[in-house]
Amino acid sequence: MRGFLEYVPGDSLLHRLNPVAKVLFAVLFAIACFCTGNLVFLAAMLAVGLGLAASCGMLRPTFGLMKAVLVFSLLLAVLLLLTTPVGDRLVDLPWGYIGTGSVLAAVTTIVRLEAAAIPLFLVFYVTKMSDLSNAAVKVLHVPYKYAFTFASTVHFIPVFMNDMGAIMEAQTARGIQFDQGGIVKKVRLMAPLCVPLLVSSVRKTNSSAIAAEVRGFDLRTRASGYREYPLKAADWLALVLGAALLAAAIALNFLP
Amino acid sequence: MIQLRDFCFRYRECSQPAVMDVNLDIPAGSFTGITGPAGSGKSMLTYALNGIVPYCYPGDFYGEVLIDGHDTCDTSLTDISRLVGSVCQDIDSQFVASVVEDEMLYGLENFGVAHELIPARVDEALEAMGIADLRDRLIASLSGGQKQKVAIASILALRPKVLVLDEPTAELDPASSRQVFLLLADYARRHGTTVVVVEQKIALLSEFADLLVIMQDGRVRFADAPAAVLARSEELLSIGVNCPRSTTLMNRLAAAGLYAGPVCTDVAQASRALLEVVA
Repeated sequence: MRGFLEYVPGDSLLHRLNPVAKVLFAVLFAIACFCTGNLVFLAAMLAVGLGLAASCGMLRPTFGLMKAVLVFSLLLAVLLLLTTPVGDRLVDLPWGYIGTGSVLAAVTTIVRLEAAAIPLFLVFYVTKMSDLSNAAVKVLHVPYKYAFTFASTVHFIPVFMNDMGAIMEAQTARGIQFDQGGIVKKVRLMAPLCVPLLVSSVRKTNSSAIAAEVRGFDLRTRASGYREYPLKAADWLALVLGAALLAAAIALNFLP
Repeated sequence: MIQLRDFCFRYRECSQPAVMDVNLDIPAGSFTGITGPAGSGKSMLTYALNGIVPYCYPGDFYGEVLIDGHDTCDTSLTDISRLVGSVCQDIDSQFVASVVEDEMLYGLENFGVAHELIPARVDEALEAMGIADLRDRLIASLSGGQKQKVAIASILALRPKVLVLDEPTAELDPASSRQVFLLLADYARRHGTTVVVVEQKIALLSEFADLLVIMQDGRVRFADAPAAVLARSEELLSIGVNCPRSTTLMNRLAAAGLYAGPVCTDVAQASRALLEVVA
């Protein structure tokens, strides 16, 4: 696994799919997760997501993502537990109670967020940003300027993270202890570092824009792209599968 | 190929010009080195050649800069870019792709090079910089020297008439720096490309350049063949430009009346001359 949002090379099915088909599948998959509250279906979606991660050798980083999502989803889950008095009464609260329905809603939220995040996460790691933007231009007819802006934004995230790391290392060498004290102290120590980071970010972005311009950025058209991104049978299959998952998720709401 | 006539530029937010009274004639196919102390206007001069000034930085532009007969003020930045390929100082900012091959394709695609010609252009540029084996590598996984070569190769693939490089060996060790210059000089000779390099390593410039330009406080202090410029090693030292040590040594021997031969620009020349002096 490389740095944050840096392409991981490989030859898995997910790597080989058309970038547009990959993104659309991941989006349909995520929407499907939000269209149903059926825990069994969501658990199955989570299993599919983990299967996809295993197929492209990204299981370990995916567990890392799941840990991060768990922190956020636990907050939501606790909120749901305390504010959704549904089902058989388990614990009494001054303003209501925690019921079996509350627990189910909390668990469903956690599983839903975990399942929805995995395919989107995988797509960004198994697709080169240049392929994603070029395919968006060729297949979806997205104006190149917007596609390039998106690709550049993602491209610069690890660059800026590296810059921040370097600034923090430099400060650590001067005696600042980022690894001691609570979160408030850490934030207080890091806040002033945002200024040099902002300055270097603006400078880098400006240099990058100039470098792109002197390499003919303004001349780019949809036909300029050297690579073609035709949708093959596997891509259509992925799209149909994504649509079927969404349809199934919606249909589950109408089951008795 | 390149003419600067009374060129002067002042950034909008500055009271003093960054460069002034610059008059230079750079012949087609030549290799020109520009050096000077920090803040002497070296990078500014490259901005004038590749059109970044006046198009990207606002300010007052005086005089004229002609590239292959085109006045940069009357030519769009895109049209200047068709003539002049630029490798900027911060190469990490230049990269737009995550993989070497995609980086090579970027300019070729933008300039509308016929798709059937693109593979040959990419192969040729990668081979010219000796990095054909890096084609499928992630740029983030490359060393500083490899990144530098990728940045140069991506510009060579565009086959510009003029190649402008701002400190292309800033992060390289002496051996890698010399290798980059060797590859550049070889490519330029085979393609008739005019090369303008801003560089701090004056020994490299004196070895490869036909014309050596020394900048000081925004002005051209010297512009001549390297041997003629290096003959003034004491003056160069006084403005903060260190000559190669072999040159300084031989110039001092000459000043003491012990050596009367031509200026030595490298160690090999100096060692031969020293043997003559000792004999």
